[in-house]
Amino acid sequence: MSVQLGKVVSFILLERFGPLVERVGTYLFEYGTNPLFCIKKFTDLPIPKIKESLAILVKYQLVTFAPNKNDSVANYTLHPNKVLLHLRYPKYINMIKKKFGDEAEVILEEILQKSYWTASEVILHVYEKLKKDNKSNVTLPALRDNFVSLVTAKYLIRVPYNEADDKAVPSLVVQDHELHMAPPVDIMELSTNPQGGNYKDKDIYWTVNFDRFHQDMRDKILVNAFTQKFDENAGELVKLLLRQMYIRTEPWTDVSNPIPLLEIKDLVRKQANLKLLNSFFDQYVNVIEQDSSNLIRKSGEASGGSFQIFLKEAFTQFAWEIVEQCVLEKFDSKAARIFRLVKLKKYIDSDLIQQQAMIPAKEAKKLTFQLLEENFLQIQEIKKASTGTGPHKSFMLFHINLENVVRMLLELCYKTLYNIMSRRNHERTVNKRIIDKKQRVDTISISMRSQGATEEQLADIEDMITPPEKEILEKIDKMMKRLNTVELEVDDTIFLLQMYLVYQ
Amino acid sequence: MGDSSEVKTEAVEEVSALELRLLELAKSNVEGISNDDIKEQIPDISLPELTNVINKFLKNGTFELFKTKDKLYYKYKDPSKKTAVKGADNEEKVVYKIIEEAGNKGIWIRDIRFKSNLNMTQLNKVLKSLETKKIIKAVKSVSASKKKVYMLYDLEPDSTVTGGAWYQDQDFESEFVDVLSQQCQRYLSEKWEESVKKGGGPLLIRNRSYATANDVHKFISELGISNVPLTVADIESILYTVVLDNNAERIVATNGSYLYKAVNRFLPSPGLVKTTCGICPVANRCGDMGLINAKACTYFTEWLNQ
Ligand code: SF4
Repeated sequence: MSVQLGKVVSFILLERFGPLVERVGTYLFEYGTNPLFCIKKFTDLPIPKIKESLAILVKYQLVTFAPNKNDSVANYTLHPNKVLLHLRYPKYINMIKKKFGDEAEVILEEILQKSYWTASEVILHVYEKLKKDNKSNVTLPALRDNFVSLVTAKYLIRVPYNEADDKAVPSLVVQDHELHMAPPVDIMELSTNPQGGNYKDKDIYWTVNFDRFHQDMRDKILVNAFTQKFDENAGELVKLLLRQMYIRTEPWTDVSNPIPLLEIKDLVRKQANLKLLNSFFDQYVNVIEQDSSNLIRKSGEASGGSFQIFLKEAFTQFAWEIVEQCVLEKFDSKAARIFRLVKLKKYIDSDLIQQQAMIPAKEAKKLTFQLLEENFLQIQEIKKASTGTGPHKSFMLFHINLENVVRMLLELCYKTLYNIMSRRNHERTVNKRIIDKKQRVDTISISMRSQGATEEQLADIEDMITPPEKEILEKIDKMMKRLNTVELEVDDTIFLLQMYLVYQ
Repeated sequence: MGDSSEVKTEAVEEVSALELRLLELAKSNVEGISNDDIKEQIPDISLPELTNVINKFLKNGTFELFKTKDKLYYKYKDPSKKTAVKGADNEEKVVYKIIEEAGNKGIWIRDIRFKSNLNMTQLNKVLKSLETKKIIKAVKSVSASKKKVYMLYDLEPDSTVTGGAWYQDQDFESEFVDVLSQQCQRYLSEKWEESVKKGGGPLLIRNRSYATANDVHKFISELGISNVPLTVADIESILYTVVLDNNAERIVATNGSYLYKAVNRFLPSPGLVKTTCGICPVANRCGDMGLINAKACTYFTEWLNQ
């Protein structure tokens, strides 16, 4: 297991769940699947505390458990990648906001925060919350509809439940057909009995289906890629292809089933904003199909032709691009050129590298070996058949193992995340005094305002923060924003690289 | 590489047809031939071509130049005689044979020693002697500085030895290549932009964006940035660097030649390289403890204060 990933995981657990959970989580990360008494032995925490921590981890689905051989003891396993998903929450929330609006956004936010909830309770909770925020036009039926759309669009999913509780270690199950079946929410019941509990759906819990979000993210990457490489119309075309793909293809297959072009053409004709795509439809199809990337290929001529999307291939190419960009930024354009040359030739010796990349011998050698040292390139030594002595007895071929490089970059991403987090923490500690002061002033001014203080009094309070302090605060604020943004952007890279690995 | 060497051998063959005719003519006239003779016997030859060949022959010793009555004559000199150099002893013959086998790629002195089993002083003497007799020559190789290779005197060194147009006295002209590469890229992108401006649908735009190496060659020649004459093959290898930089793509046209076009990437630059850590040269040594750590990192501080 990756050390860097472990550090990030510990950090996230510490920040969101506190030191106890962090210790249990870190132990499970380091030692893998383990039963309670082992955790006790190594962490030296009191049993109730460990149980509490495990309960939290299980609740947030970061830890799963399975019975041991004779069904008496549960073994706990931590899922580090799930912990990492915490960083992606803002993205998920934003996606839902864009697609379903503000109310759905709040629903998702609440469920993310609690990990799982029954439909009735979350609807009631959101209703109260929005009303408090003076969003008076919110209604229970509207919220219920929002919730149901999230379920039918598979963004929410049924939580497995315990069927037979005679076992020492419960086994949780859920039937496939129940996963996306809308819950029975009785609006009447909710409105007449908002305090009650014990609603019709009281044992039906819902949680967030991250996979569904990742599918959206994947599609968006594809559409953006085609937009960037060709233009918006090409992007729209791919968007429609993906949409039609889902009618007949499992979302995570390597290659989509053939999609009839006529269907797409029909859709384009109906959309007023796609005029340009409509008039040049065949040309766009041609250009994309003939492109050397070969991600969308014709699979049949029948009824106007049909096309397949090569998803696995797409993310392999994207991974290449990312790696190439990293080489470019980490080294220079010459190194990137060498890297791409090795990629195109698969195996190549150093003489050919300098010749074809047109880089002076010395520089080419230096760069090649730098790339080798940082594991972007690999070397294969081939002995010459004639066993002479001297420098020519063997020659070296350079090549690239993409999967290795991707894993290495992923590692670098984790390290970067960790560095960003610890730097943020550090800045917070260093500036603790002033941040605290600001917070105090803010609370005072809020409470004074609610007591009806005059503008003058409020200004006096504000003045407790001196201009130089204000300046520092602004600087900290800027820094934190920057760190947060870049953290999300690094996560984008992680997503892309993981996508490549998922398809392998 | 394959393509450029092909072009070169083709060119050599073409010339040799002419050379043969000229050789025939000279061999049959032991007294020597004048320019007028040549014009009479081989009328379909252009003057510059002729001068080229004659110059070459003069240089490699196939022809001798002499003057009678204010007129220039060329006389054929049998090169096979050269091998039977007067006073050539066995060692010289052995070394000559080894060098001859190496062809126009030449052979390194160490390898000659291994193959000939002569000791260094002996070998040096032989080489010196062959060199002064203009039977062999030493050529500096570009692949390793200070490394000399030997080949027969009248051979044109292979481009792997001289490096071709990109070398000036064994030095690779890196900047020159960079400038050319940039210009080629510029040409392709401008061509693309123009076709986008002209419009007419994506297919037309794409097809109009393609350029052949000849087009680019013409453009570069007209720019006049190069003071050595560049061949189309030279431009072809420059264009390949643009392809390698992921700024262009290359496809094979129906007639077998290459077409080039500027391209975009699929992805914007990844988030990882926007951080200092993603491009940090000492990332491997950066940890929680020690001098290099995220809290005290100056790269990071600079980036935060930007
Ligand atoms: S924190 Fe600084 S030293 Fe460490 S990896 Fe990042 S940039 Fe490099």
